[in-house]
Amino acid sequence: MPAELFDSAACALAVTGEDGTILKANARFGDWLGFSIAELCTRRFQDLLTMGGRIFHQTHLAPMLRMHGSVTEVKLDILHRDGHKVTVLLNGNKRQQADEVVYDLALFGTTDRDKYERELLNARNLAEALLQEKTSTELALQNAQAELKQAYAISQRRAVFAEQMMAIVSHDLKNPLTAIRMASDFLSRNERTAKERQLLGHIGQSSERAQRMIADLLDFTQARVGQGIVIKAAPLDLHNVIHRAVDELRVAFPKATLVHCTEGAGETCLDADRVQQIIGNLVANSVAYGDLKQPITITSRLDNGAGAVSVHNHGAPIPQALLAGLFEPMTRGTDQGSDVRSVGLGLYIVRELAKVHGGDVTVNSCATAGTTFTVTFQNT
Amino acid sequence: MDLRHRNNVNVMGNGTSTLVFSHGFGCNQAMWNDLAPPFLEHFRVVLYDLVGAGLSDLSAFDKTKYGTLDGYAHDLNEIIAAYAQGPVILVGHSVSAMIGPSPRYIDTDGYVGGFKRSDIDELLDTLDSNYLGWSSAMAPVIMGAPGQPALSDTLADSFCRTEPDIAKHFARVTFTSDNRQDVIGLTTPVLILQSSDDLIAPVAVGKYLHSVMPNSTYCLVDNVGHCPHMSAPQACAAAMQGFLAPWTATRAG
Repeated sequence: MPAELFDSAACALAVTGEDGTILKANARFGDWLGFSIAELCTRRFQDLLTMGGRIFHQTHLAPMLRMHGSVTEVKLDILHRDGHKVTVLLNGNKRQQADEVVYDLALFGTTDRDKYERELLNARNLAEALLQEKTSTELALQNAQAELKQAYAISQRRAVFAEQMMAIVSHDLKNPLTAIRMASDFLSRNERTAKERQLLGHIGQSSERAQRMIADLLDFTQARVGQGIVIKAAPLDLHNVIHRAVDELRVAFPKATLVHCTEGAGETCLDADRVQQIIGNLVANSVAYGDLKQPITITSRLDNGAGAVSVHNHGAPIPQALLAGLFEPMTRGTDQGSDVRSVGLGLYIVRELAKVHGGDVTVNSCATAGTTFTVTFQNT
Repeated sequence: MDLRHRNNVNVMGNGTSTLVFSHGFGCNQAMWNDLAPPFLEHFRVVLYDLVGAGLSDLSAFDKTKYGTLDGYAHDLNEIIAAYAQGPVILVGHSVSAMIGPSPRYIDTDGYVGGFKRSDIDELLDTLDSNYLGWSSAMAPVIMGAPGQPALSDTLADSFCRTEPDIAKHFARVTFTSDNRQDVIGLTTPVLILQSSDDLIAPVAVGKYLHSVMPNSTYCLVDNVGHCPHMSAPQACAAAMQGFLAPWTATRAG
């Protein structure tokens, strides 16, 4: 009975000697591998395995069986007589007999489960590869962000440095320029030849232009680097201030026709010098970019203590693309003005001046109506 | 870096010369349990686990450092510097003989290592399919072994159990290594102890080593399998004692 049980067991069974030689095997073992029992008993168990399985047997299985006396659930590929692989799960147990050690082996076919496990394994490998990819992408992104941050910090330091530099330089240029103006004024008081008068006129005009540029630069750096532009506001008649300013501008721009209109009446609280500076900037722009055959109209408005001044000129409109950034520093309406008057700070300063007066500046520009800049002031 | 922790270093025995035992692929220092004891009386004995194996510090495993056997050789040198005294004799099994049995496993022109590249790929596949079940959640159930001397200490429990990733990595590094240039012409006295029937290190490989190392002694131990130090410890110890005699004698001083 036990012999029958051994042969017809639902798994392959074998007993091997210490060196792996098969001493006994059941019929099922032979059936699975296509060998007769007699053929199996001339072989060693490890010789039935694939080469990879043999290495595994030598490096893992045999030492573990020797040391622990047992192994369970080890998956191995056994070669069938005709060469195809039979995947099995192996349980093994060491047994001490009177004068020798033997190993009892039980093998279970596991082909279908093996397929399933391989699918799981492939899925896990795929998941790990994807994770790896994601991780490295994130790392690359992090590195890029860090580099960007660093580059931003560097450029910001450079920008601050450049602005501070500009503040220092424009401040330091003021003194030699004042000396030049004083000296040329002094020289003009005496008798001069026509040529000398002409040269002194050039010196005077050029140094005046340079002084305006430096004043713009100082305002700009004060707005950007310092605590902002400081104004001294006092109650005044806006119409009166604009009237005087327009008079002076007529002298400065003899080729242009300047018309002053007033609306409303009353007093408002403003810095007269700064209001004059605003009008000067806007009118200079109109002269530079507008159609001088038609008049430039300056309108001052008063309404319940709030004031506004607008400057209108005819001529080609400001291109749409430039309108959005028109009040940013270093912006020019067109490229024509390299000799016009400044480095492109004028409108930026106008806006800053309007803001410190609690107001703002807007622009309307089209081919039919021409261009109008309007500065509003709140009563400060 | 705490070497003792990283490599699970154990120092025992008494002597003026040091034997450093380095285990092979697949196991840990417990494989020396039958071979090391006879030498404790005359030698200082250092046992350790390769990083990634046994009770070594798994967090110290670095795929780049251990991408070639040099990484393991570097560790061995550190251990020797820290724990060895006097003349040092390395007892290396299998791949450990090259960290410090085969100079090359894969056959190439004019050299027989015993394996083809496809054999190694099969091994990696077997490791893969077995470690699916052996991952940390399902450590192998090791049944009690009645009649077996007590091996229930933690070291024995960790025997042959390596993190799946590390085992595969180590298998690839080991079986694709080629250290022939390191051994050709080596004049250090060497005992080549070889199993008469070993799939992993065929007799041709031992003969090759003997032929290229002028001061080598060749000894074939009648044994089946890759671990003669476990299956035939007495024969191994006898062969080693003969070879070690010059260093054993210096002990009395």
